Amino acid sequence: MMGQKNGADVVSTALTAATNTVPVIPLIVERVAKSYEVDGKVVPVIGDLSLSLNKGEIVSIVGPSGCGKTTLLNTLCGLLAPDSGRIHWYGREIVGQPQNVGYMLQKDLLLPWRTALNNVMLGLEIRGVAASEAVDRSRAMLDQLGLHGFADHYPSTLSGGMRQRVALARTLVNEPSVLLLDEPFASLDFQNKLLIENDTAKLVREGGRSLLLITHDIEEAVSLADRVIVLSKRPTQVKAVYDIDLGTERTDMMAMRDSRDFSQYVRRIWADLDVVLQ
Amino acid sequence: MTADTDNGIDRVIPQPLRLPARPRRQKLRAMSVVLATQIALLALLLGFWEYVTGNDKQAAFMFGSPSAIFGFLGRMALDGSLWRDTYVTGLETLLGFAIGNLFGTLIGLLLWYSRFVSRVVEPFVIALGSIPIIALAPIIIIWFGTGLISKVAMSTLSVVIVALVTSYKGATGVDPDQINLMRTLGASKFQIFRKLVVPASLTDIFAGLKLTVGFALIGAIVGEFMSSSEGLGHAIFKAGSLYIIPKVFAALVATIALALLLTFVVGRIERLLMPWRRIQ
Repeated sequence: MMGQKNGADVVSTALTAATNTVPVIPLIVERVAKSYEVDGKVVPVIGDLSLSLNKGEIVSIVGPSGCGKTTLLNTLCGLLAPDSGRIHWYGREIVGQPQNVGYMLQKDLLLPWRTALNNVMLGLEIRGVAASEAVDRSRAMLDQLGLHGFADHYPSTLSGGMRQRVALARTLVNEPSVLLLDEPFASLDFQNKLLIENDTAKLVREGGRSLLLITHDIEEAVSLADRVIVLSKRPTQVKAVYDIDLGTERTDMMAMRDSRDFSQYVRRIWADLDVVLQ
Repeated sequence: MTADTDNGIDRVIPQPLRLPARPRRQKLRAMSVVLATQIALLALLLGFWEYVTGNDKQAAFMFGSPSAIFGFLGRMALDGSLWRDTYVTGLETLLGFAIGNLFGTLIGLLLWYSRFVSRVVEPFVIALGSIPIIALAPIIIIWFGTGLISKVAMSTLSVVIVALVTSYKGATGVDPDQINLMRTLGASKFQIFRKLVVPASLTDIFAGLKLTVGFALIGAIVGEFMSSSEGLGHAIFKAGSLYIIPKVFAALVATIALALLLTFVVGRIERLLMPWRRIQ
């Protein structure tokens, strides 16, 4: 990868403890800060933020509205540069976009002139994967997400839930080892949300991928994640971290909600968020 | 088909949005009512025109009459001048339209590539866009002569800035989140341009194309007004200076027909190039 600044040196000290157990941690964020300048005034958005994402782990990030979650995600993706601090992808600091990282937002961002299949193929096409292979893989991914028979539909003819499934397929078909999702299911109704969460959990866990999920939805955060990170108000810092222990079978979002611990977690995180009427 | 057995587990399959399609017959009827009203309105106008000019010789001289206009159309069709003039003006318009849109759109899209260049160029574009093209006609005739090329140049100049501005607006109006998505998928700037910016700008480009049909025609006709030996603008100018008002209108009818035809063709191409918009 380009722009790798004597990676080994920089990272080694920070990672010594972690590298003893796991060879390479997919993502480590170290004391990252980011501010914007608005009308000549500097507005700090991210204060001093550190977190990590392990292999095969699902981590949810919740925080009060406007706490800079999207800024954080764009910084992680290399779309914004942090003012200070370090971001290590697989033990390396990189310039630009990290490899093998999938990104998905609340907006499905499907290209209206492409059919569902061609939207899914976008990433493979960009990377120069042979057309026939790209078609096969994309079709298989659509099938896995319950969209068999809709490959040739244009996005405008699909429902919101289906469009978001196509967007998820577009992300997963590239076989990213890490997924960064920013409120991906926020615009869906409860049933669709639950179904797509189930599928996401299944595909991520089966594939041994890591997932960083930014969300407003505390129940979504708890039911999906192994760990929930609660952020503070701006300038954003980590306020609390919860290890979610809801058993080993973690792909049924409705079953998660049945357990007694689930509501405990939800209540504690809600208290942490310290939501007040404004 | 709401359930699918996937490993024995019932799994809800999301349904596509199927709008309850309005019955075709009902749609057709609504369209024919509109068309009938339009024809009635036109007939009323022409009837009134014919009636007034039929009873008043001076009015007939000043405004012509529909029957006289159709008479001239018939004569011009028979002596071939209608077809010749329409062909000449049509060719000038088409060439100006094509060249102006080609260069305007190309430059407008390419300006997306460099914010620096687009900032540098902006005041020049605004300055050029604010020049009334008629004001350039004398120079154009000096430079390009009195033949086809000067009319094509006038037509091109009338089109190029509009095409540039609309396509640039389309290119810069692309959702930044969409660009970010392309970047996270590893797209190069050229790939973002080709796979995202160009197709996303098509809507604006076609809006510009429809708009510039009229501009291209104005350019060609104004060019013919200044100096020409054939074309619809020439026919209008000549008939006007000889006070043959119905002939002016007859040439105008041909001009309108030309504009409608070009707009129709552009609409067809739009449907062909943007099939995803037909579905809604």
